[in-house]
Amino acid sequence: MSDRRIAISLVVLLVCAIVPPLGSGYVQSVFYIAVLYVALSYGWNLIAGYAGYLSFGQVTFFGIGAYAVALGVTRLHLPWLLCAFAGGAIAAILAIPLGYLMLRLRGAFFALGMLGLAQTTRIATETAPFTGGSSGVYLPPGSNTLPAYYWTLAVLALAMGLTLWVDRSAFGLRLRALRADERAAGTLGVDVTRFKVIAFVLSAIVPGLLGGGYAWYLTYVDPASMFSTRIELQTVAMVILGGIGTYWGPLVGGALMSQVSESLGARFPQGHLMIFGGLIVAVLIALPRGIVPAISPARARRAARTAAAA
Amino acid sequence: MHLELAAQLTIDGLLLGGVFALAALGLNVIFGVTRIVNLAHGEIIVLAALCASVAFQQRGITPIAMLPFAFVGGAVLGAILERIVFQRLPSDPAGAETTSLLLTFGVAYFIVGFSLAVFTGDFRSTPYLTSGLQLGPISIGESRLVAFVAAIAIAGALAVLLRATPIGRALRAASQNLEGARACGIDIGRMRTISFALGSGVAAAAGSLFSMIYAVNPDSGSQFTLLSFSVVALGGLGSYAGTLLGAAILGLAVSFAGFFGSAQLGQVMPYVIFIAVLLFRPNGILGKGAA
Repeated sequence: MSDRRIAISLVVLLVCAIVPPLGSGYVQSVFYIAVLYVALSYGWNLIAGYAGYLSFGQVTFFGIGAYAVALGVTRLHLPWLLCAFAGGAIAAILAIPLGYLMLRLRGAFFALGMLGLAQTTRIATETAPFTGGSSGVYLPPGSNTLPAYYWTLAVLALAMGLTLWVDRSAFGLRLRALRADERAAGTLGVDVTRFKVIAFVLSAIVPGLLGGGYAWYLTYVDPASMFSTRIELQTVAMVILGGIGTYWGPLVGGALMSQVSESLGARFPQGHLMIFGGLIVAVLIALPRGIVPAISPARARRAARTAAAA
Repeated sequence: MHLELAAQLTIDGLLLGGVFALAALGLNVIFGVTRIVNLAHGEIIVLAALCASVAFQQRGITPIAMLPFAFVGGAVLGAILERIVFQRLPSDPAGAETTSLLLTFGVAYFIVGFSLAVFTGDFRSTPYLTSGLQLGPISIGESRLVAFVAAIAIAGALAVLLRATPIGRALRAASQNLEGARACGIDIGRMRTISFALGSGVAAAAGSLFSMIYAVNPDSGSQFTLLSFSVVALGGLGSYAGTLLGAAILGLAVSFAGFFGSAQLGQVMPYVIFIAVLLFRPNGILGKGAA
């Protein structure tokens, strides 16, 4: 079972590695956006799917990663790849105290707390003296699509690896236990806080690493688009569509919806928000567990057993 | 600090707090009966504010004259949302919380997209009653004063409705003890729809009034959601006096932070207070007060 998952994942990653250099610039950007959103979805699924804490502010770490590259390259003249790594590291380090703070909040309060965190970080970035304010930062122009793409693909591989590990390990089992009933899991000796914080940190590293690639890909960052709750909305919609708390959900949902996002986003930003918002509602009503459990009965049975609370 | 300045900021803050209270009362009514944390609350407020602004600038209809329309429009929207979307929640409480959060998150952005399509992304306000009343050294913005009086009047009407009418009593019964209310023959499904209609109508009325104070665009919704929750976190759920007190505290905090810090600090103040309160009471005042 797990071997088959590893094999299929490797094939998917391999195809994603081989195709884009052979295609046009358009094909490359299509692949870039798809891989970016699938990877973001895997990151979000770690905290929301496995730990059961709905975060509407993981985009905070994405913005931090993007600004690490933008400021590191333009102000400190460092290589972008180093800055992109640093973005992930900063996200991870910040996620530790933030996790201890935020994860004290339950359910709706955690969701609201994270939503406000993204908003507050955006306002702080607009106000801080060294960030270029609300007008943003331009990076040196160049043909960055393929380097940014391979970076993003590497992060996707990492995110899938992390998810597979969480899915199979004792750590993941404990996460699912605390998702089902936090107090009971604590009584049974699960160090609830520690496991939640670890899941939160893992879930922050992924967007932290991805943000730097995005800044390099766009060669421009500004607070409104890097800390945008729209990125969060799309990620959430993709995971819900694919199947929250499942290994394949983020891949299926992200791959399906990223193209809708890209083709609509530029031309009809409003229609795009209505589609993603409406999609979340429609999927939750019509197919509450998402596509993957619906087409995989064995997994659905297991999900029904373990995810009564998710 | 000069006494005049302190008095000025205090009055500004308290007037602001009146409208905050109205926004939070709408949230209270919905959560009390349905236990749904409505993340789309701020989006309904903003939609109403944008409507009020356009009605004033294109037709000359004042936000006060808009109040009945805003209330009815918000109520219809709330009732429709409850009937189409929120009635379909799973029955187990834990699953219902996760699902309802995701549903209201989706609804919120659906409304943002709709507002963008209709109103574009421009910031809009209602330049109605822009002068100030001079009371010695203190200047009271007329628009704030009128918004405050209207908000308190609506809040009072809501209190009367909840205390002294059969529907209000049924709503309160449903929020105090769902099973008990059901056993007494109260139609819970209907109460849920009514609470959504009432809460959203009050939110929309607050939105009309907010348009006299703030410039908003379709993306401002989550700020108002946080603001409403901040009041609820401070004041507690189900407590009318608590909501008013929480709103007054938040209004003062925003007013003073905006003056001594910056406009941005005033903007993030509700969030700072929300986090600060909840860190001391992680389960929130919501969960306890109403259970």
